[in-house]
Amino acid sequence: MSQPARSPSDLSVFPEVARPRPAADGRALAQRLENKYLSRITGVHTVPGRPERSVAMPDDVPPGVVQALAARGIDRLYSHQADCWHAVRRGEDVVIATATASGKSLCYLLPVLAAASTQRAKALFLFPTKALAQDQVAELLELNAAGNLGVRTFTFDGDTPGDARQAIRLHGDIVVSNPDMLHQGILPHHTKWAQFFENLRYVVIDEVHSYRGVFGSHVANVIRRLQRICAFYGSKPQFILCSATIGNPKAHAEALTERDVTAITESGAPSGDKHVLLWNPPVVNPDLGLRASARSQSNLIARLTIRAGLKTLVFAQSRLMVEVLTKYLKDVFDSDPRKPARIRSYRGGYLPTERRETERAMRAGSIDGIVSTSALELGVDIGALDAVVLNGYPGSIAATWQRFGRAGRRKQASVGVLVASSDPLDQYVIRHPEFFANASPEHARIHADQPVILLDHIRCAAFELPFQARELFGPVDPQVYLQLLAEDGVVHNEQDRWEWIADSYPANAVSLRSVADGNFVVVDRTDGRQTIIAEVDFSSAPLTLYEGAIYMVQATPYQVEKLDWDGRKAFVTRTHVDYYTDAIDYTKLKVLERFDGSPAGRGTCHHGEVHVVRRVAGYKKIRYYTHENIGYGPVTLPDQELHTTSVWWQLPPAVLESEFASRQEALDGFLGAGYALHVVAKLAVMAEGVDLQKAVGDGNGAWFASADGRGRGQLRGAGEEALSLEDGERFMPTVYLYDNYPGGVGLSEPLHFRQRELVQRAVELVERCDCKAGCPACVGPVLAIDEDAGVAPRGLALRVLKALAPA
Amino acid sequence: MSLTLARLQQLKRQAGAAPSSQDLTPTRAATPAIDDLRRHLRRRAPSTDAVVRTVSNDRHVPGTEIAPGLRLVEARLPFAPPQDWIDGRFDRRDALDARQLMFFDTETTGLAGGSGTRAFMIGAADWFDGALRVRQLLITAMAGEAAMLDAFRQWLRPDTVLVSYNGKCYDAPLLATRFRLNRMGTPLVDRPHVDLLYPTRRRYRGRWENCRLATIERRALNVVREDDLPGSEAPAAWLSYLRGGSALNLRRVLAHNDRDVATLAELLLHLSQLSAMEMDEAAELP
Repeated sequence: MSQPARSPSDLSVFPEVARPRPAADGRALAQRLENKYLSRITGVHTVPGRPERSVAMPDDVPPGVVQALAARGIDRLYSHQADCWHAVRRGEDVVIATATASGKSLCYLLPVLAAASTQRAKALFLFPTKALAQDQVAELLELNAAGNLGVRTFTFDGDTPGDARQAIRLHGDIVVSNPDMLHQGILPHHTKWAQFFENLRYVVIDEVHSYRGVFGSHVANVIRRLQRICAFYGSKPQFILCSATIGNPKAHAEALTERDVTAITESGAPSGDKHVLLWNPPVVNPDLGLRASARSQSNLIARLTIRAGLKTLVFAQSRLMVEVLTKYLKDVFDSDPRKPARIRSYRGGYLPTERRETERAMRAGSIDGIVSTSALELGVDIGALDAVVLNGYPGSIAATWQRFGRAGRRKQASVGVLVASSDPLDQYVIRHPEFFANASPEHARIHADQPVILLDHIRCAAFELPFQARELFGPVDPQVYLQLLAEDGVVHNEQDRWEWIADSYPANAVSLRSVADGNFVVVDRTDGRQTIIAEVDFSSAPLTLYEGAIYMVQATPYQVEKLDWDGRKAFVTRTHVDYYTDAIDYTKLKVLERFDGSPAGRGTCHHGEVHVVRRVAGYKKIRYYTHENIGYGPVTLPDQELHTTSVWWQLPPAVLESEFASRQEALDGFLGAGYALHVVAKLAVMAEGVDLQKAVGDGNGAWFASADGRGRGQLRGAGEEALSLEDGERFMPTVYLYDNYPGGVGLSEPLHFRQRELVQRAVELVERCDCKAGCPACVGPVLAIDEDAGVAPRGLALRVLKALAPA
Repeated sequence: MSLTLARLQQLKRQAGAAPSSQDLTPTRAATPAIDDLRRHLRRRAPSTDAVVRTVSNDRHVPGTEIAPGLRLVEARLPFAPPQDWIDGRFDRRDALDARQLMFFDTETTGLAGGSGTRAFMIGAADWFDGALRVRQLLITAMAGEAAMLDAFRQWLRPDTVLVSYNGKCYDAPLLATRFRLNRMGTPLVDRPHVDLLYPTRRRYRGRWENCRLATIERRALNVVREDDLPGSEAPAAWLSYLRGGSALNLRRVLAHNDRDVATLAELLLHLSQLSAMEMDEAAELP
């Protein structure tokens, strides 16, 4: 029954050999991995499989649609598809939050096709990417043909040729687009779509979990504008939303649409058991705490799963890593060029035709292993897989399960392995398997009333339709915003109506992915080129794009030659220097207003509004490998000021005196505690990269701390001169976590609400770390000198955190 | 100075957007939905609304007010067509009945397109009673728009043929949008429309610096305008009047529009006669 093991070199000598049959299920392989690599596996988690729950096709599905489905082999509905059908028939707005590959699209295709084919009712579909949109259109065209339904489906996006647009507006029954196009190309020209909006019955929005944070806040406002325009044309479409598994699908859908939404979360689709392993690469240098790379482990695991006959998908965090891993696997499995490729790679940069071809081959089962970026995380259909390997933690529990969800057939067990990199977040998750097992997927959060975002969309809405007296925008009274817009000269107030008068097209100036148009582009000027290679948000720009900075794109270094601050451009050329740069930045914080506070162990925790000033004073040049500081450079950039919301922790002087031998120790402790709190907080609120920032300072902005060249915390005065820690009477070190956008983005309040839990987690993070004195996974990088100091930074941070922890 | 507006301006600047150059003025209180701002608002005393407006003594606009915010200027030019039927071969058509033609041109608030651009003036000319009757509708307040569109619609008879310059791509779709926004149907659709830009281009492309109406008027028709306000300044002229400023430039816009519409009539005859002549000569050649 089992084949003899064959090594790669055999393949080229022997004639075509039948590949090993799939292992009975992924369970056997999971067991093997556990047995052989026990020391690297920190946690094992089995998600039990589910039996199928299905019902007969409901009576009220029109015959044409029944026939179309029958032609595709579908004659029953999974329970969640039937639940959705009935809920939509009842007139409810619905969000379907079942796992990947559970047949979510049929949930919305059914009611849409039924209404379009029998009543000429129209639908608008919104997808986050064109690839997904194209997939969906293909699906719709096939169903339409199979059932002879007469439903006309078109994509309408930036690529739609000009002469086709009018026809689509007039004749499209189902229009497939994306939020950016809706925002810039459809809503501002809504009169041309009058017939479409008058007959609009359904709005389908897929992958709504990806509309969170700043992007989600923008999309919520675009939806407000859409509903406003529908109201003008007398229609009130129903919303059907699809989401991956997040912790709050109903609340999130309701926040996006500002309607009551019915959530369908239980899937009736069958699945086999899923065996999940948490894998930490082995330590290769105990003194420095260095581990083997995640890449080496992913490579090893993928080789094992593919050899065992399991169809495998490896997710890598970057395009470069995709190429590297693909090469390693191809070296092993595709060494004979005469044979069809068993390993393929997949990422956004490839041509659409290539990607379609790879997807087809995957569905047909002719590829054994595929390496991809997050591009395959979203719903593109690639058939069933048996094993998924994650090279690095994707940043959230939700994304992790989304990716694992790619593996799984109806009856067979599948395997998922999460391989941690040395990133602090990865190390935290991998060392806390119970966190992973117990963590519900994060909550998706938006802040639709973020002032700067709201202003942009009220401006766009005023362009679309005048604002009448007492008219609200969503739930917001737009008065103040309209007054501001009148000051700017873009609207004119006449008898309580606000009409657009400027000669501009506001939607073009609003990017849905940033807060105000502040993003910088990085332009590669090597060899006379002028190509944009990256985009950097406004707040990160002074830290990474100052003149002289080494900027990395996919691990390729470039040097910034010129920064055009007002033009928002950084000009770089490829470089080959042997150092990297690190900005020396000072953050000065001042509390403007305290909204709320609560006890935190022997200290206090507060939530309120702060004024933040960030200044980059210069930068260090640090040689690779040796980490020597080989020089400094000046930076002259404007200070960045921010009025935003923040959460902060403090300890009273009495506690500080009893816990710490000196003020320097207390300060170092706060720096380390701040680092750990930042790590756990980002995890807790599913914050994207730069959205949440940390700082250690004093409430009145009198001094602020930074790490000096020796890694020790230092005080600086308001004018940045270094202060001695013994000067001055008051000493109230404070850790701040603040939203990195003017006006805040709604992160601070939930953090304050959960502050006890955060401190608890930070304590665990530091206590259980394997390092000696501190490391980037717990309190931040420490220098050798501090490891032998009286009390290591790790110990000091722990004291602060324990003092802040509930008794 | 209002904290709320100042704050919004400030937040905008902090986010990296270019600051507005306008002065800040005091405003009314309230906006319950802005959580962090609300706390400031509670501490502020409400103040009166005082939007900055310029005030001018010269507010005279010609014509009569036929509805609130809508004025009509009417004039007659001693200019009749040579005959009732005009050769249509210049635009690849059958003969045009001079009495059915409606020459029209709009002045708008800009070129951005979309639902935010409106017409503040519609000039229309037709041959009536042996002369060219030029009628101009001008709104002096936003509230007059619906009445303006309605008045224009009533000038169109079932057999009216529209004549414009670039009206197919610009004026007609723009008016269609405004009709829609005012929930007034679409009287311009399915109507014969002679857009003189196309036959003009066919004849004159490359001969002079461009095919703009002003250029063609000067070069082909030998019309010289005095003190003409450039079309690009029309939006500002109207806006400034709307905000209480002088009507001087707005009157110049009326004159400019009046001349534009009259030129359309001249241009049509010019193109028609030239084409007719050329085609007749060509037909006579052995």
